[in-house]
Amino acid sequence: MDHRYDIVIVGAGGGGLFAALEAVRTNPRVSVAVISKVYPTRSHTSAAQGGVNAALANKDKDDTVELHLFDTVKGSDYLADQDAVEYLCSQAPAVVRELENLGAPFSRFADGTIAQRPFGGTVKDRCCYCADKTGHTILHTLFEQCLRRGVTFFNEYFLLSLEHADGACQGVIALDMRTGAIETFVAPVVILATGGHAKMYWNRSSNAAGNTGDGQAAALRAGIPLKDMEFIQFHPTGLRKSGLLVTEGARGEGGYLLNRHGERFMARYAPQKMELGPRDLVARSMETEIIEGNGFESDAGSYLELDLRHLGAEAIRKKLPQIRELSMHFEGVDPVEEPIPVRPTAHYAMGGIDATMAKTAVRGVYAVGECACISVHGANRLGGNSLLDILVFGKLAGREAALEAPERNAHGITPAAVRRVADEIGSYTGHERYERYGIIREEMGKTMGDNVGIYRVEERLRKGVEELRALRERFRRIRLFDTGTVYNTNLIQILELKNMLDLALCVAVAALERQESRGSHYR
Amino acid sequence: MERREVSFRIYRYNPQADRTPFYDNFRIAVEKGITILRALNHIKEQLEPRLTFRAFCQAGICGSCAVRINGVSRLACTTQVWDLLTGSGDGPILIEPLGNLEVIRDLVVDINPIMEKLKRNYSWVRPAIPEEEMGRKEHLVSDGEFETINAASDCILCGSCYSECSMMGVNRRYISPPVLLKAFRMNNDTRDTLGCERLREVTADNGLWDCTHCHRCTEHCTKKIPIMDGIHRLREEAFERGMTQSEGARHARAFYDDIRDLGRLKEVTLPLRTKGMLGSLKMLPLALRMGLKGRRPPLLVKRIPQIERVREIYSRLEANRGER
Ligand SMILES: Cc1cc2nc3c(=O)[nH]c(=O)nc-3n(C[C@H](O)[C@H](O)[C@H](O)COP(=O)(O)OP(=O)(O)OC[C@H]3O[C@@H](n4cnc5c(N)ncnc54)[C@H](O)[C@@H]3O)c2cc1C
Ligand code: SF4
Ligand code: SF4
Ligand code: FES
Repeated sequence: MDHRYDIVIVGAGGGGLFAALEAVRTNPRVSVAVISKVYPTRSHTSAAQGGVNAALANKDKDDTVELHLFDTVKGSDYLADQDAVEYLCSQAPAVVRELENLGAPFSRFADGTIAQRPFGGTVKDRCCYCADKTGHTILHTLFEQCLRRGVTFFNEYFLLSLEHADGACQGVIALDMRTGAIETFVAPVVILATGGHAKMYWNRSSNAAGNTGDGQAAALRAGIPLKDMEFIQFHPTGLRKSGLLVTEGARGEGGYLLNRHGERFMARYAPQKMELGPRDLVARSMETEIIEGNGFESDAGSYLELDLRHLGAEAIRKKLPQIRELSMHFEGVDPVEEPIPVRPTAHYAMGGIDATMAKTAVRGVYAVGECACISVHGANRLGGNSLLDILVFGKLAGREAALEAPERNAHGITPAAVRRVADEIGSYTGHERYERYGIIREEMGKTMGDNVGIYRVEERLRKGVEELRALRERFRRIRLFDTGTVYNTNLIQILELKNMLDLALCVAVAALERQESRGSHYR
Repeated sequence: MERREVSFRIYRYNPQADRTPFYDNFRIAVEKGITILRALNHIKEQLEPRLTFRAFCQAGICGSCAVRINGVSRLACTTQVWDLLTGSGDGPILIEPLGNLEVIRDLVVDINPIMEKLKRNYSWVRPAIPEEEMGRKEHLVSDGEFETINAASDCILCGSCYSECSMMGVNRRYISPPVLLKAFRMNNDTRDTLGCERLREVTADNGLWDCTHCHRCTEHCTKKIPIMDGIHRLREEAFERGMTQSEGARHARAFYDDIRDLGRLKEVTLPLRTKGMLGSLKMLPLALRMGLKGRRPPLLVKRIPQIERVREIYSRLEANRGER
C-alpha cells in the first residue's frame, strides 16, 4: 500500500506526539501520520519517573532561565551547543505550563502551583513531577490530545528505511507488523523521533527492549551523520537480570555495596563518602570490581550486591517500599532477607542524529528526542533535561514542519528502493543461514558492557571494535526461523539487532577516537 | 541460586498456518527470580523462535505484556515464576492471550477496540484556556484535586481489566472498564470542560449502566487502581446532572427505591432485561448483599425486618455524598 502525507512522524513517544500535536495546531490543513512500532502509550517515555526541568520558580523563587542554562552547559562538560541549550531552557517554563494546560497531572504545592523537587546536578529545585510517573502521565496526556485532534496513527508499523533524492526528503518505507506488508509513506517532511539506543548494552541497560536506535540506523544508512555517539550515560545500580534501576535512595538510606568477598569495596575508592560518592565514581568503581573478578557469577553475568539487611525489616518496608517491590518483582529477591544483585547499567544516549535546531542535513528531515543530537546534553545529560528536550524540540519540529510541508513536494519512492528492503527481508530465511539471533545479541551486549562500558581503555576498546566487526560479519548469515508474515516478532528482533550492531560499532569507534575524558566518557 | 525444571503450557495460533488454536508444552530450567516474561523470552530464543508475544519496557509500566497466566490476566514482566509454583511443584504454568479481544497470533491480541472506545468517549481533557493563551500560566490545582485523579492516571492501558470484565464477556460493544476509568479521570479533572458531553456518550447504550458491578476489573487491575470507585462516581454524577432518562438510569433508580422501601427488590415488577439488570445494583452494594444474598426472587415482596438498618445505610450514603 502507498500512503501520501504532508508530514510523517516516526515515533510516538513524547517527542513524536508533541510534534504531531503542534503540526496540526499550526496548520490544521496539513495531513499528518504518526508511525510507531508500539502503541503510542507504550513508548519508552512512559518509563521516566523523576521529572522534567523548568525554571518555573515555584519552589526557589530566585531560579532563572540563566541558572538552568548554566547548570545544563556545565553538566554537559561544556560540549553542548549553547545556542540550543538557551532555546531549551528559555522555552522550558512555557512548554511545561502548556502541558499542564492540556491536562497533564502534576503533583502540586500547597498554593496550587506545580510542585518542584531537587534533581542531580542543579543549583535550584526545578524538577517538575507527577509522583513517580512523570513520563507516563506526559505521554498519556499527549496521546489523548492527539486523539482529540484526530491525528492518524499507524500503530505497530516498523520503519525500514528513510528515502531522499537530490538532497530532499521523499518519505519512509515501513513494515505493517500485523500483515507483513511493506508500505511506502511518501512525504516531503519526515520527523524522526524513534528514541534512544542504549539497549545495545542489552541486559546491562535500563532501557525498553525496543530502544534499539532504529531511526538513527536508518538515518545513517541514508547518509545523514550521527554525532557524539561515544557518550552513553551509566547508572551505578541496575538490577542484575533486567538492568532496571534501583534508585539512589537505597544507598542514601545507608545500603552497602559488597563484592563476592563480602567486602565493602567502596572503601578503597572513596574512603570518606563510601557508597555515597558521586554517581560516575560509584559506577566506575563497581565496574572495576567486576572486571577484576571480584563480582558474583550467575547466568545473567557477574554482579555485585547491594545489601540493605542491616537497616532492618522495619526501615526497609517503611522507607524503601518501591525498591523492595522492584527487587521482588523483577529479581525475586526480598531485600529484607537477601542482598539485591546489582551492576552498572547503560541508561541514556547523548549522541544521535546530527541536527541543528531539529533540522538534519537532508531538506525536510527532522530529528528530535533521544534519537537526535541537537545537542543540548553534550557529553553528559542532566536528569530531567531529556523529557524537556523531547517536549521543546518536538514542538519546534512540529511547527516548522507544518510551515515547511505546504511549500514542498515529494516525487515519490522508487520501486527499486522498495525492492531493496523487501529483498533483504526475504534473504533472512535462506536455508544456508545458521547464525542465531539470541546468541549474536547476547555477545553484542557482553562486548559492549565489557569493552565499551563505563571504563574506556584503548586496548579494550580495540577489542570491542574488533568483536563488533566480527559480529556484524556473522550477522550476514543470521537465520530468520519464522517465515510467516503475520506479526512476525522474530523478524523484528533481527531488524532491531541489525540496527543495534551498526550503532554499536559507531559508539565503539567514536569511543576509541576520543582520547580525552569528558562527561560520561572516561578514559 | 535455586534452579528447577518448569513446564509451560502456551496457547498457540497462527491464522496463516493453524486451522484451530492449540497448546504447546515447553519444559525449561529456570532460576529462582525469573519472571514469566523472561521465561517466554528464553523459550523464544532457545526453543521456538516463532512463539509470538508482546513486551517492551520489561518494567511493568508500558502495558504491553498482559496475558492470562493460569487463567488470570496479569503482566508477564512483573509475575515471578516461583510465585506460581506450590511447594516443589514444576507447573505446568498455563499462558494464554487476554480474553475479550481478537487473537492476532499466539499471545498477541488486537487492542484497537480499546483505542476506538477511548476515541468515541472523549478520553481527553478539553481545557478552558483558549489556544492562544496556552503556556502563559498554570491552572492552580489543589493537592486534593490532584489526589482525586491520581490513582486513575496510573492506568497503563494494559487491557487486563478488559480481559476480565464480565460484561465484556457477553457484549463486546460494552464501553469497558479502562474507558470508564478514563471518563472518571477526565470528568473529575477541574481543568476539563467536556464533562457533560462525555457523560452523555458514556451513558449511552452499551455504556456505564451496563456494568454488572462484579468488581472483577478492580480485583485484576495490574496497577491496583480502584476502578469501581470511579464507576460509582460517574453514576452519581449522572444522577446529579439529571441524566436519569435512560433505561439504565431508571433501573438504578428503581433498585434504589425498592431497597430503601422494602429492603429487597420487587423483581417481578422490574422489566425483564438481559443486560444492564445486575448493572444497576451498583447504587448499593451493601444493601444488596443484605437483601439478596442466597435468595430467589419472591413473588410477594415483604419488607425485611431489618429495614431500619437499611435506611441507616441509606442515610449514611447520602451524608457521604454530600461531603464530596
Ligand atoms: C528508566 C528511565 C528513566 C528515565 N527518567 C527520566 C527522567 O526522570 N527525566 C527525564 O528527563 N528523562 C528520563 N529518562 C529519559 C527519557 O525518558 C527519554 O530520553 C525520552 O523519554 C525519550 O523520548 P522520545 O520521544 O525521544 O522517544 P521514546 O519515548 O523512546 O519513543 C520512541 C518512539 O519511536 C518509535 N519507534 C522506534 N523505532 C521505531 C521503528 N523502527 N519504527 C517505528 N517506530 C519506531 C517507538 O515505537 C516509540 O513510539 C529516563 C529514561 C529511562 C530509561
Ligand atoms: S464491575 Fe463493571 S466494568 Fe468492572 S468488570 Fe464488572 S462489569 Fe466490567
Ligand atoms: S485499569 Fe488497570 S488493568 Fe485496566 S488497563 Fe488500566 S492498568 Fe490495566
Ligand atoms: S513489558 Fe511493559 S508492562 Fe510488561
